[in-house]
Amino acid sequence: MKNNKVSIASEVEKTMRLADEMAPLEVNHLFRVRLMQRIELESVGGTHSLDFRLAFIALLVIINLGSTVLSLQTKKQQASAISSEVLENQSYDYTNQEFAYYDQTNDNQTP
Amino acid sequence: MASKEKLFRALVDQHQEMVVNTCYRFVFNREDAEDLAQDVFVEVFRSFEQFREDAKLSTWIYRIAVTKSLDHLRRLKRKKRFSSLKRVIGIGDPSEEIAPPLHDNPADVCTDSERAGILLDALNTLPENQKTAFLLSKQEGYSNQEIADILKTSVSAVESLIHRAKKNLHDKLFIYYTDH
Repeated sequence: MKNNKVSIASEVEKTMRLADEMAPLEVNHLFRVRLMQRIELESVGGTHSLDFRLAFIALLVIINLGSTVLSLQTKKQQASAISSEVLENQSYDYTNQEFAYYDQTNDNQTP
Repeated sequence: MASKEKLFRALVDQHQEMVVNTCYRFVFNREDAEDLAQDVFVEVFRSFEQFREDAKLSTWIYRIAVTKSLDHLRRLKRKKRFSSLKRVIGIGDPSEEIAPPLHDNPADVCTDSERAGILLDALNTLPENQKTAFLLSKQEGYSNQEIADILKTSVSAVESLIHRAKKNLHDKLFIYYTDH
């Protein structure tokens, strides 16, 4: 039992010692070159993505403007159609036989 | 712009070794440590203008390195949890079950890879501030004052964190070796 505890303690000690014994890494000689390449790439990619975003916003604005113009045009056409219909109805009303009848009766009443 | 790049190059030359080794302490893996160090310097390059001189430049850089390393470990933990959940509901990717290659393990630095794995597992169960204080204290070049500056705390708090980390680590390893 005592031996077992001693062996466990020695295992724990050996494992904990690993944290002290970790040899420091030597940095890859291409580390800085790769880093500068990545920074350059990201800055180029950054402007490209900005261009893409701008183009997308412009496209949305064009679509928006186009749909507004279209809806205005259809409204205009509808308005002119309605007004011509009203005019037609009015002219029909005044040339209707019923009005002619009243005109005629009025004429008959006056001696 | 050219002067900024020149300054940045000098900064990388001066701190790359410390940054790579700081990340390496946390992830126990060369490739991940170098990738993280690149992320650190990209962040430094981007936010160089935002650096306020109420801290040392080196402390600021090493703080970014610690934050990035802890973020990386958190991501790994989430990924691990998610893949075990996927396994439970039966949509796990079989490729995730394959053990990583040898050089991805702590074995590339420690002769006893199994022991290093046990140490890493035990370290990952510690609270983040204890783990950070303990790991930085094991790296050459960090004084307790510098660790305190990185963690934005006092030297006595750092000493206490290191002491508690050692005790917790010892207890966890003791339990592990008793069970196995």
